[in-house]
Amino acid sequence: MMTLKDNTQMKHILLAGAFLLCLLTACKKDDDLGDIDNIPGLGGDTWTPGPIDNWIKDSLTVPYNIAVKYKWDQGELELNRTLVPPKEEKIIPVLSSIKKVWISNYVAEAGEIFMKRLCPKFFVLVGSASYNPDGTITLGTAEGGRRIVLYVLNDFRIKGMSDYTPSDSNNVKMLFHTIEHEFGHILHQNVLYTPDFKRISVGRYTSNWNNVSDETAHQDGFISAYAMSAPDEDFVEMISIMLTEGKAGFDNLVNSITGTSPNGTTADVAKDKLRQKETIVVNYFNDTWHINFYNLQARTRASIVALIK
Amino acid sequence: MRSQLAYCLLVILSFCSCRKDDKSVFDLSPDERINQALSKYQAALTAAPNGWEARITTGTGSIFNFHFKFNDGNRVVTYADIDTTSSGTSRESSYRLKALQQPSLIFDTYTYLHMLADPDGTVNGGDNGAGLQSDFEFAIDTVTADSIKLTGRYNKTKVTLYKATPTQEAAWQNGDWRKALNFQYLGRILQYFKRLSWGANAYDITFNNQQRTIIFAWVDNSGNPHRVTAHFYYTSQGLFLVTPFTDGAVTITSLNSGSWNAGSNTLQVQVNGATQGAIAGAIRPARIDLQAPRRWWQFAGQQDSYWASNNGFHVNGVDDAFHVRSIENFAFLIFWPAYGRQSGIIYDLLGYIIVKPDALSLDFGSAYIPPTFTTDGRIIFREFGTLGDVPPAATAAFESTNTQMTEARGYYLVQTGATTYDMVSAKDALAWITWEY
Repeated sequence: MMTLKDNTQMKHILLAGAFLLCLLTACKKDDDLGDIDNIPGLGGDTWTPGPIDNWIKDSLTVPYNIAVKYKWDQGELELNRTLVPPKEEKIIPVLSSIKKVWISNYVAEAGEIFMKRLCPKFFVLVGSASYNPDGTITLGTAEGGRRIVLYVLNDFRIKGMSDYTPSDSNNVKMLFHTIEHEFGHILHQNVLYTPDFKRISVGRYTSNWNNVSDETAHQDGFISAYAMSAPDEDFVEMISIMLTEGKAGFDNLVNSITGTSPNGTTADVAKDKLRQKETIVVNYFNDTWHINFYNLQARTRASIVALIK
Repeated sequence: MRSQLAYCLLVILSFCSCRKDDKSVFDLSPDERINQALSKYQAALTAAPNGWEARITTGTGSIFNFHFKFNDGNRVVTYADIDTTSSGTSRESSYRLKALQQPSLIFDTYTYLHMLADPDGTVNGGDNGAGLQSDFEFAIDTVTADSIKLTGRYNKTKVTLYKATPTQEAAWQNGDWRKALNFQYLGRILQYFKRLSWGANAYDITFNNQQRTIIFAWVDNSGNPHRVTAHFYYTSQGLFLVTPFTDGAVTITSLNSGSWNAGSNTLQVQVNGATQGAIAGAIRPARIDLQAPRRWWQFAGQQDSYWASNNGFHVNGVDDAFHVRSIENFAFLIFWPAYGRQSGIIYDLLGYIIVKPDALSLDFGSAYIPPTFTTDGRIIFREFGTLGDVPPAATAAFESTNTQMTEARGYYLVQTGATTYDMVSAKDALAWITWEY
């Protein structure tokens, strides 16, 4: 009986082995991949290049590897917002302003290689603002140091355009604020700033920043309300506002702080905190990237002034 | 026995699972078929030598006409009857066909079509964040030789493109549509009353080009006021009412626009394509609602309550001409009939409501002696005094408003709803204020 059982077991094993072999070999199919150089895709992602496409290619894509999507693509944007694509006549003025204010100044202070390596590589342009449910509007967003979405291009007006009014300068400044802000993130994500920065306003960072006015934020030693959201945001808000407002504008902002904040920060303490942050930013640019921040600031502010005054 | 069954099953499974015939029921791959469909649609779009006519009804119910001409290089030339510019000057932008969930036609840079969808309310008169709820990205539903049916992908706007005839295209190019849009100039008439008159007929109209509505207002022979709102759309001849307007024997189905006289601010029109008429500013209603001032005054007076106005006076085409809204913490203006008694006089009050930390407060105002109701349907206010202390920063707004209120000719009252009135200066109809209850 024992032997019989052994035999049966043996047979079972053999059979199972044979089936496994069958299973593995039987399904061999010669699945030809076809011509992989000619995958058709879903179409609609190419078009006859026009003057705008050529300008983008020559001015941004070839030198800096930056792609700009100005034609409507819902897939790049929030799906629950009413948005419209930009007017074609606004695209080159916006992009050439960006090139003048942001790219050229960094290149002048830090060199071509620096810019080519670190600049965000993909811009998406939208004609209208993005209206938030709370009645505010979004002017720009950025993701992962790679993609920047810029809104309200259709209202972009700079000095020299027929319908320019001084109030338009706010749109222009916000545009560069967004770009310098996001570029600041890229910088510190590559090389982090000194931890001393986080200690300056430790305990004051809050997710409730959107209920704080900029004035109150200043009184607490923050350059803007959004800077209160996190140390990283604080750091890049310092960079972007110092660059877009210039040295005089920043000094003016610091010196005009009066009163005591609801958190009990006195004006002198607030001013001191902002000056400490300024010093860290300036040293960070110098030590990490070998950029003279004040030179960059002077250049950036001068380029913005040239567009709005 | 059980294991034998299991083996049988394994055998069956291993043979069935290896069916190698994976031929598609179609000759081509899905990608290739999509591309085929797209190029077929592309050919259809460009195969209209005179372009396409389209009529769009936005989510807000306004009707707009468009003319599109597509070329092979992803460019489209557009006319639209949105305003005098869009109907007279073509605009080139880009388009492309792309397979999204369905093959779709995308107008991918800004053109007149996007004005309807623009979330900026100042562009199209819609709400901020929504616009007129229209589309510029369309799924292609049906393509025939003469028409293309589209459905908006965001707001589900239904649009049909019809192949245009040479005459239809010429109507855009030679300015017929532009002339139809002369109605837009009615916005330049600064008087409150805009009178449509032809033959022995006259109606006060309120024209809204952005919302595509006309309000006809009149007073019937028994003295009862009437208001009817009619939606309209443009054609290359003029405007057509969606539902004809009727008042007894009078029917209006269309108004064809003639020339606009910039000197007298008068638009020549043809009523129903035949009778010559005109629309011009007027300083008094076509027929005065004689009882309106008394009705207005008593309505609030009898309930010991007030009429409110958010914006103060509109003068010479300027909203809030006296800048009452710039008064610090200003909430609204009120008119309170028979507000109080002083020196034996029961006075009316034009009060300024100010937002205080915990409540609204009536801080100051102008008092008027009981108004005079004239037999020709006017109300006249005369100053009695000042109530409370006017803050120095508000003095200019306060004084100007008070001077306007005490205009010697007084005011007509026009009832615009169950509890809304417009109070219009009888001197020249260039100043008015809207009262809500």
